[in-house]
Amino acid sequence: MSERLDKIFKSPAPKTKLVSYFVGCYPTPEISLELIKEAIDNGVSILEIGYCTSEASAEGPIIKAAHDHVLNNGHNLKDIIKLVKDIRDYNQDVGIVLMGYIANLYKYPISKFVDDIKVAGADAVLVVDAPHELKEENQLREALNSNGLSLIKLAAPTTDDNRLKDIVDIASGFLYQVNVSGVTGVKSANEIDVTNFVKRIRNLTDIPICSGFGIKSPEDAKKMANSGCNGVIVGSAFVKYIQDNIENKDLPQSLGNLVKNFTEELK
Amino acid sequence: MTKNSLKTGPDELGYYGEGDAAMGGMAVGETLMPALHELSKGFEEAIKDKEFLDEYTYYCKHYIGRPSPLYYAENLTKKLGGAKIFFKQEHLNHTGSHKINNSLFQVLLAKRMGKTHLICESGAGQHFSATAAVAAKFNMPLIGVMGDIDIKRVNQNIIKAKHYGAKLEAVPGTLKEAITSAIKIWSSNPEYAYICGSAVSSAPFPKLVAFAQSIIGKEIREQSMEQEGKIPDMIVGCVGGGSNFAGAIYEFLDEPNVKKIGVEASETAALSNGTPGIMQGMKTYMLQTDDGAKSLGGMSLGAGITYFSVGPMHSYLKDQKAVSYSSATDQEMLDAYKMIAQTEGICSALEPMAGAAEIIFRQAKDKPKDYIICLSLCGRGEKDLDTIQEHIGKDFE
Repeated sequence: MSERLDKIFKSPAPKTKLVSYFVGCYPTPEISLELIKEAIDNGVSILEIGYCTSEASAEGPIIKAAHDHVLNNGHNLKDIIKLVKDIRDYNQDVGIVLMGYIANLYKYPISKFVDDIKVAGADAVLVVDAPHELKEENQLREALNSNGLSLIKLAAPTTDDNRLKDIVDIASGFLYQVNVSGVTGVKSANEIDVTNFVKRIRNLTDIPICSGFGIKSPEDAKKMANSGCNGVIVGSAFVKYIQDNIENKDLPQSLGNLVKNFTEELK
Repeated sequence: MTKNSLKTGPDELGYYGEGDAAMGGMAVGETLMPALHELSKGFEEAIKDKEFLDEYTYYCKHYIGRPSPLYYAENLTKKLGGAKIFFKQEHLNHTGSHKINNSLFQVLLAKRMGKTHLICESGAGQHFSATAAVAAKFNMPLIGVMGDIDIKRVNQNIIKAKHYGAKLEAVPGTLKEAITSAIKIWSSNPEYAYICGSAVSSAPFPKLVAFAQSIIGKEIREQSMEQEGKIPDMIVGCVGGGSNFAGAIYEFLDEPNVKKIGVEASETAALSNGTPGIMQGMKTYMLQTDDGAKSLGGMSLGAGITYFSVGPMHSYLKDQKAVSYSSATDQEMLDAYKMIAQTEGICSALEPMAGAAEIIFRQAKDKPKDYIICLSLCGRGEKDLDTIQEHIGKDFE
């Protein structure tokens, strides 16, 4: 269990934490770091830093395009871990979650990956396609737990209560509540569904719940914050903003303003 | 079943073999895990239900036209002057390939499980047209996902699928991209049934598809015993994901005297040139960058075997040294096509010509005359006529 994540959720402010997803090294390693520094300065509590794989099965068109861009530029997980180190050097308080697919970790391989991210200063890992049925998930979870790091588990709308019990039993750091069935950045989350889902999870566990998928605007974030979750996760909206303004020299500052629009609603 | 049988796997989590070397598993997002467990349960129940199996058998006979003949390719045999060569004529099935065995099985299973909508992916379009036919028959809407490169080269199958009422979803690329995209569509509609076309992806698909296709090998045994008084000495088939070859050899897995050779396209020979990795729901041999970030592999003329990865059962059988795997080039496939067209009057799809090339150029000649080689001739060639005409059309004039 990551102590830093624990501390973040025990802190009374902000009331609802903003968890923001950025594709690591997108559009370049240098600009990526500048964007993330601005996000930190504007109140992000936890960063999800995405590493890329060509066969990502849960990404919608926005994040898929960013992944392809990074892959075509030849940046891999090692570069992302370097980015994590730079972020940690800049800020000691923000939570850092590496997020991606099992393909890269299996090849790294897993035990060395955990050693390297611990040194770099990451707090947790989220692997989209590694359910607890997968041997490599078990290996990764054990290695993270024994190093004081967390494996972030996901609960989806399709996850029934029996399965949810198994998941909360092994969850660490926070639980990633997937609001809608599907890929990132397409469907919109429904407030009532999300509130009911938070209740369903809360009946089983006290672990912090962060609600993600389908949160596109500061207004969406505010609504979802009323669901009883401890954090809201915004991904595609930030990645899309970066995509749309990629030529803009003031991109880091203007992204910082966008992040602030979200954090202002979550205080 | 014998102890240490190669037929005992996979375990309930989809692993073929044990420990870190195990292949297969379930590497998909949480949203689909309940659907996969539901499918697993539905499958295990259905195969114990006599009424369900009788229905499958009925449609195999009357709709697909099974059993497909085991045909003695006498002219080809004489031309090569070695082993006695037989074709398991899966290309004579309704819709023109082995794919319909699996489409029929999975659509009946979906119906039994109360599903109302279907999704499938396809490379050569054989699985799309087969699934579309069965979907029409059982009145279920179908979305088929295919890569734009394949859509162009196997257009006939898409036209047929559309006539059956299916919808096409085009994505840039080939089979690999179609599989990733089908999983995305399924994640967005987890109540749909995903009719996976090969023995690939997360459990339970590799087991389920191999089960549906194992009818090929069962018939080979019966027909070979009846016609030749013995089972084949060797079974050869092409391998993309590996469903037709899995179906042909499954029956004989515990008989080491039956030599088994799976043949991939040399541009995408995951078993010959790949390493274990985890992508597209399964741990298996695949062509990917050393860091696991990108799938690799070139283009074969055979759309259905242009696949950077392979079904996990084959990876396990390779590691067990129970089955041999080789590869064939485009030129070898074209040469085999031409020889079979001219000696036997059969217009084969290009994919099974990878297997034929192995037999013609590397296996048949030095074998005794009573040595029986069976080729799984898993698809007919209409879809490939433009490609063949473009590459060797002048050779026929």
